Amino acid sequence: MIEFENFSFRYEESKEFTLKNINVTVETGEFILLTGRSGCGKTTLIRSLNGLIPHFYPGEMKGDIRMDGASLLDMKSSQLAGRVGTVFQDPRSQFFMTDTTRELAFGCENMGYRREETVDRIAKAVADMELSDYLNRSIFALSSGEKQQVAIGSVYALQPKVYIFDEPSANLDYEATKRLAQIMAKLKQKGYTIFVVEHRFYYLRDLIDRAFLIQNGQIERTFTRGEFCSLPEQTRVLYGLRTSWPGQDAKAYQEKKSHRETGHSFIVENLSFDYKNGPEVLQNVSFEAHSGDVIGILGHNGAGKTTLLSVLTGLLKEKKGEIRYDGKRLSPRKRRSLSYLVMQDTDYQLFGSSVEEELSLGISGDPSEKVTETLEALELSAYREQHPAALSGGQKQRVTIGAAIVKDSPVIYFDEPTSGLDYDSMVRVSRLIERLSDAGIIIFVVSHDFEFIVRTCTEVLQLDDKGAIHNRHLTSSVLESLSEKYFN
Amino acid sequence: MEDKTKQQIMEQPFRGTALLDPRCKSLLLILLGFVSYFVNGEVVSLILVLGFALFVSLGNGIKWAAKMVVIYVVISVLSTLLKYVSIPVLSVMMSVFGVTILKFIPIVMVGNWILRTTHMDDLMVALQRMRLPQAVTIPLVVMFRYIPTLGIEYRMIRNTMDIRGISDTLWKRITRPIATIEYILIPLLMRCLKVTDELAASGTTRGLELEKKRYALREIRFSLPEYLVTIAGLTFLGMLLFLDHTSIGKIILWRL
Repeated sequence: MIEFENFSFRYEESKEFTLKNINVTVETGEFILLTGRSGCGKTTLIRSLNGLIPHFYPGEMKGDIRMDGASLLDMKSSQLAGRVGTVFQDPRSQFFMTDTTRELAFGCENMGYRREETVDRIAKAVADMELSDYLNRSIFALSSGEKQQVAIGSVYALQPKVYIFDEPSANLDYEATKRLAQIMAKLKQKGYTIFVVEHRFYYLRDLIDRAFLIQNGQIERTFTRGEFCSLPEQTRVLYGLRTSWPGQDAKAYQEKKSHRETGHSFIVENLSFDYKNGPEVLQNVSFEAHSGDVIGILGHNGAGKTTLLSVLTGLLKEKKGEIRYDGKRLSPRKRRSLSYLVMQDTDYQLFGSSVEEELSLGISGDPSEKVTETLEALELSAYREQHPAALSGGQKQRVTIGAAIVKDSPVIYFDEPTSGLDYDSMVRVSRLIERLSDAGIIIFVVSHDFEFIVRTCTEVLQLDDKGAIHNRHLTSSVLESLSEKYFN
Repeated sequence: MEDKTKQQIMEQPFRGTALLDPRCKSLLLILLGFVSYFVNGEVVSLILVLGFALFVSLGNGIKWAAKMVVIYVVISVLSTLLKYVSIPVLSVMMSVFGVTILKFIPIVMVGNWILRTTHMDDLMVALQRMRLPQAVTIPLVVMFRYIPTLGIEYRMIRNTMDIRGISDTLWKRITRPIATIEYILIPLLMRCLKVTDELAASGTTRGLELEKKRYALREIRFSLPEYLVTIAGLTFLGMLLFLDHTSIGKIILWRL
């Protein structure tokens, strides 16, 4: 049993309390979903459970948190290590070791267990979590989903009674998300207490016992599973929550635009690509796009979406086939100058020392007028002089989009633009893309976010296992068959 | 089933010299660094490279060692060629550059081999047994873990730079070298800060800060093989230093 008693917390560097008077009791074995807008305090809440608060993130505390009667606040985070296990959002940056077996052993070795015990514990984790295929692999050769399974295994080897997941699905495709739900179901069945922080929570529908809606550092409401999954649309949007039933969006889909075949054309014909000594990743990919099209690129992890983006943006040279813009064949170099890629991780693409400089980088001529205009349009004028690194995640994303607008790219690519975004931010990105589309830009979006795809795209390209592509104009029936494939 | 899993867990991908205690490997690297700096004779330097290439080859590093030896020979020949063409300033610059690279090759060869053939938990145990405080070992281990990802991150950054037209051509890179380095370093540092922070948080929740005695999956001890290798290494390096001062040190090997 975990009891929060009038718990408040303020980070050392901030003036206001991030958590205010949390009063709640969670029974052993309960499955709790923590949700709410970005910045509402859900991450802070779990940090105070796993001991990162107050030791890793110092600050001022009031009230108490007790686990089975003992106060958590008196314990060091290392004392909590065997009791509360945490799986973090980005599987790339939570691996301490470079191979999987040692990652599984990492926690046990920290605890000072003897070799025999460590091996026993890993063997149990491997058996229970079905990890035998992943032993003795380099972590660099694993997909996000596989990495996350190993991360869960590593926590499981410590045999904690409480599990915390921080936005675990943000970097996963549908298959991996399904697998994650199965693992969570297993943990729940074993009677562990589970906390999940998540925006896209549809896959937890059958698992949660209660959902806590957090607003401004307080638990605004608690729902039972039934209440939560049947929230009326209006209330849900009011709270800034994503849908529990993304599959149902397919039925309600309304065609946005008639399929235009005017304006600029972007034609891909019989495109093939393979890595040296590797199997063919893309096979005879052909499709057509026109000004204003918003094209979703779908496919599971490893189907070749990233490779397709790299070839289309000119970072890789095609092996066969051609890419034409307005009838002219494009070399990789020409493609690079025509396209812009907004990456999932904006940290990789901010180079300037101020927002203003960022937008004018790499532009020949004097872009200052255009920069001012763009900053205005993206509501970034106030941050003109600031260092891009000082901005929030959403603002950074807008800065990168702004750079694309200033560059005047006729084709813009988005890689997972909504991962880890709440409802409001997702809608904002969707509107922004709509505006770019109205301005006649051709847009490609790689995304696993069904709700976002339904809201934003006019067409989908579906990559299958063999690297072939199916180009389909988006209609309600196409979406229904997609949702069938992804959610059932 | 369970026994099979345990066998898999204990499986050891490394052989021979790669299995030496990390302390022994690092000690050799440090000694090698000093000696490589002081040895000047062409024959002696070549023996140094070949000797350590053999050492690396005996521990899962045969391809890597061969590659480095080939590079060593090629650069030696090239810098010899350079003596025959004399362009003022540039010739001197290039020959200094060539000598520096030649001195670094054995260090890079052994250093990278250590990175690739040392399990991180072995390293942590070795550092702990040396009674180093955690304030030293944790940053070291994080660095060890971050080095292999540097290449991946660098490529990601270069890709965006190419798309955005920032230092995307050789010309821009040559004319504005400092700006180019800045554009690469800033995102790299930002990523580094973020990753190390997240890594530390993830480590902390799994008990990284507990100062318990650690046991790696394989036994780590500075025992007989390590002593023998250290003595052999010291003898080899000492001999080279000595040879360098004899007439062997004056033999000119690379000529056309």
